[in-house]
Amino acid sequence: MTDTRSRLRPSRRQINLGALALATGLAVPRIGGAATGKGTAVLGIDADPPTLNLGTTTDFAAGDVSAKILEGLIWLDPQYNARPSLATAWSVSPDGKTWRFTLRKGVKWHDGRDFSSADVKFSLMEVIGKLHPRAAPVFKTLGLEVDTPDATTVVVKLQKAYAPFLSQMTVFDAPMLPRHLYEGTNIGTNPANQKPVGTGPFKLAEWKRGASIKLVRNDAYWDGDKPFLEAIIFQVIPQAANRVFALQAGEIDELLDFYTPKPEVPRILADKALAPRRSVNIPAIYFMMFNTQSPLMAKKDVRHALAFAIDRPRLVKQAMNGIARPGAGAFGDGFKWLFNDEVAYAKKYPFDPARAKAILEKAGIRGGTTTLRMPFDVSRAQMRAQSQIIQDNLRQVGLEVKLEPLERSVYYDRVFAKRDFDLMLGSYFSAGDPAIGYTRLYNTYTGTSPNTNASGYANPKVDELLTQAATAVDRAVRADLYKQLQLILNEDLPTLVLFDEETVDTASKKLSGMFPALDARDQWAGVKRLD
Amino acid sequence: MNVAATVGTPFQRAPFLKLLLRKGSTWAALAFIAALVLAAVLAPWVVAHDPLRGGNDALLAPLAAGHWLGTDDLGRDVWARVVFGARISLTIGIASALFAVVVGVVIGALAGYFGGWIDALLMRVAEFFQTLPRFVVALIVIALFGTSVLKMIVVIAAISWPQLARVVRASVATLAQSQFVDAARVAGMGHAAIIAREILPNAAAPIIVLGSLDIAMAILIEASLSFFGLGDANHVSWGAMLNDAQQYLRSAWWMSVFPGLAIALTVLAFNLLGDALNDALNPRGAAR
Amino acid sequence: MTAFILRRLLHAVPLLLAVVVLNFLLIAFTPGDPITLLVGDFPAPPEYLAQMRREYGLDQPLWVQLLRYLGKVAVGDFGFSFANQQPVAALIFDRLGATLELTLTALLFASVVGIAFGVIAARSASARRHGVADSVIQGAASAGYAVPDFWLGQILILVFAIGLGWLPSQGNAPVRGSAPGWAGWVAHLPYLVLPAFALSLRYLTLITRITRAAMLEVMGADYILAARARGASEWTVLVVHALRNAAAPVLAVIGYNVGFVLAGSALIEAVFAWPGIGRLLFESISKRDYPVMLAILLMVSATVVIANLVTDIVHRMIDPRIERA
Repeated sequence: MTDTRSRLRPSRRQINLGALALATGLAVPRIGGAATGKGTAVLGIDADPPTLNLGTTTDFAAGDVSAKILEGLIWLDPQYNARPSLATAWSVSPDGKTWRFTLRKGVKWHDGRDFSSADVKFSLMEVIGKLHPRAAPVFKTLGLEVDTPDATTVVVKLQKAYAPFLSQMTVFDAPMLPRHLYEGTNIGTNPANQKPVGTGPFKLAEWKRGASIKLVRNDAYWDGDKPFLEAIIFQVIPQAANRVFALQAGEIDELLDFYTPKPEVPRILADKALAPRRSVNIPAIYFMMFNTQSPLMAKKDVRHALAFAIDRPRLVKQAMNGIARPGAGAFGDGFKWLFNDEVAYAKKYPFDPARAKAILEKAGIRGGTTTLRMPFDVSRAQMRAQSQIIQDNLRQVGLEVKLEPLERSVYYDRVFAKRDFDLMLGSYFSAGDPAIGYTRLYNTYTGTSPNTNASGYANPKVDELLTQAATAVDRAVRADLYKQLQLILNEDLPTLVLFDEETVDTASKKLSGMFPALDARDQWAGVKRLD
Repeated sequence: MNVAATVGTPFQRAPFLKLLLRKGSTWAALAFIAALVLAAVLAPWVVAHDPLRGGNDALLAPLAAGHWLGTDDLGRDVWARVVFGARISLTIGIASALFAVVVGVVIGALAGYFGGWIDALLMRVAEFFQTLPRFVVALIVIALFGTSVLKMIVVIAAISWPQLARVVRASVATLAQSQFVDAARVAGMGHAAIIAREILPNAAAPIIVLGSLDIAMAILIEASLSFFGLGDANHVSWGAMLNDAQQYLRSAWWMSVFPGLAIALTVLAFNLLGDALNDALNPRGAAR
Repeated sequence: MTAFILRRLLHAVPLLLAVVVLNFLLIAFTPGDPITLLVGDFPAPPEYLAQMRREYGLDQPLWVQLLRYLGKVAVGDFGFSFANQQPVAALIFDRLGATLELTLTALLFASVVGIAFGVIAARSASARRHGVADSVIQGAASAGYAVPDFWLGQILILVFAIGLGWLPSQGNAPVRGSAPGWAGWVAHLPYLVLPAFALSLRYLTLITRITRAAMLEVMGADYILAARARGASEWTVLVVHALRNAAAPVLAVIGYNVGFVLAGSALIEAVFAWPGIGRLLFESISKRDYPVMLAILLMVSATVVIANLVTDIVHRMIDPRIERA
């Protein structure tokens, strides 16, 4: 069923409104037209962000809005190269422990004050180092300290070398915040979190809760005559199907993968009026974690049996509509440089329900008498479909699975705080490097924080290798370490990686200059409207 | 809808059945309910596929080979899921209505019979429950405390009993004044016996009608909760099917149409039944 | 009369209090920690969580939290929503307009059309035993009452938005911002059509049935016969005489169902992404935003109590024959 709309004729909606306007003699804004001025882009998001301070949250929609308002020291291009943003040059000492950044001159905050190294020091040490969910624990472990020899130089000293350090200096992990507005205040409730002041190409103009967020051009932006757009509007559309509909109807100009329901992706890929960008993304893996402390899942054989029983290609096809790659190994195959082909899942655990049944029988598990409990986050639509397919697969080998869809905070409590599960479904974002996002899947962890290793798996050798891989600066050395890790982890299997996520970010063909960065939310200064 | 009881209308009278089955629509409703119950009970024999078993044959349109209503996004047979979904809907619908009836009758009878402060207290409680907006409360309670078939039954019953209680109270209060009750009291019958044997059978009419309507309402509420993703994930439910269908509205309309139709027809059937019962038991208020 | 009003008012206060306490207890005893939802995907440092918990007073014992809450409600302060970083009262007030617009439109539509159909049906039923119009309307009303409103919303979207493209499928205003004043208001009307219709259907059918039943009860009365004998037209008989006297039960139904319409709007607002209180409720549930949930529940309950009160009074004024419950 194709319903590509012709871009040449006004849509029926426009005709009807036009007729109404004629009838009432009023000027009516055309839907899908440019009544709000040339050079406005409309982006779809799923909900109001909880805050616009990227120093304290990793919420996706928050990043979407704030990445146009705030900036980091660098930005990452699709090849993972760091490019200058608020820093124009940088260098690292041979031992990997000291980083030196030269800041851009003449940059001003949206309220007119000057940007300087004091802002960088404050942001890194007082905000991100203490409050950023992803970076704070890392900075603490690294013993990060910042010196500012002058207004445009920043020296960061680490106690240990950290390979991915530079790639964490983007606006999402280390946004630069105005010291003059945050110093000495309670950062969590500072009103600047809702009305951010940044150095970026756009400023916040208006926030209508539940409806839309409007950004306008920063006329004093440091990069020549950029930005080209006059305004950006974020339209809040909570129903996923409606977002796609709005995209295809031209009501919004961009929809990122995060907000796109997978079943609609084939339709988007087939729509000639849209320009999708496929599979350029920071890797993320979806997995099923076993509770190795529970009597059933403690046995390695049983875990292997489940790996044989679960049809990962079917998961990709039906739960993700083909926009993913079946799980390949302990770290997926998103980072090609570290993938260990010899112990890949495809070789070790091909889909073989008969073999799974045999292993289970040998392990003494009788068909139909064992029930495994599987909680997952109910707000994630793919998880529901995944869980049902897995339930189906496991029933075929005689294991009953009790699905427990839980509200997110209940899920966090049950799985991470209480470890009350046999199986659980989750997904972790790598944030650009396995050392940043995937280490937490396998390292020994006894705390109760969410989004950590709740499997109870504790292997000192694995811990050691993970630490080494995070501090070695040479990529070849790291690759070797990760390959060794896969040798161990693919065999011990505390967690079964189900698939590697692929993304499809879509923009209207009327926008040019889209997607210059690895993260589709980043670098909007160069975007232009063609109509 | 006028459900006020006419005192002492037993429904064992011969004209009852005649009145009940007067309209063609009542026949249809009864037939549908009977068929539904039969299908639900005999579900495994009525369908050709396991409703939870999927496969690679996903999103087949109706009239595909072996799947006359098509398959859903995970390759599961829609007809099988509609039939098995009837089990949950009927179970929750009937159980919660029954539960509500029991609670409502007990409370209403006590209030109506004894009057005084008992009456005032119990009716205050009933009014409190009635003030709570039904669906919103159910939504919040299930969202917070987690879901299961039992929890849904309890929650739905908890929001349905007040209306019944009030009606029962009104009937019982009137009946308690009648002569045969006085006679029974004089003859030395205890309160409980009087209520159970003399009064309630004569007040049965509105209870039956409301019970039937409550079944319909319970089925709708369960479907609404499941639609919001708050249903029990381990069972097939029509509301949950509609939830799945939302993402596939444009590519698989059959995922939405058939379960939605099932809900509508079932609710309609129980409503019609309730209407017919009301007509038969309340000749005064009967519509022409 | 005044005594009646005062008595009903006094009656309502402890009800509301009980509702607040109940809500608070409900939410307090459920598992899960709302703070963890704020931080997104990665594990948050414990100091950050502790700091946030202190901010929102979640580290106090339960009864202290309850008392604080009661005190604040009394002065109209419904707390701070940590998920939305806004005072709750302001948050609800922002969305109130959208919900009121939707529900009032639906109620108005349901009342007007419902009464009209009810009158037609009654007329058809009284004119001949099995009037065609009567049977059709009754059948349609029964069917309409059974249809789940969220499914109806989906079907309407399927047919009118996706299939025919006549009407928009989500939101309440054009995406690129609406022009101020009249133009903006007119432009947003198409968005109101489908959700308001979906919300109104069940109440429309209810009102139709009640109107019909009430009219039929009244139609056989003496003053009707007298009016007819005087040569009044059927129209006058119906509207001026019969409807006026049948108004009481009809108004009762309209008034007592206000609460259900509000609740129903939660489903419709979700399906159509209408930025109102219903959607706010759903979002606040998934985010465990306690202050917002409590405030909405209280607000809806209060509205129902007030609507009931107003209906009681109006009903009494119109029809002094009713007995007190």
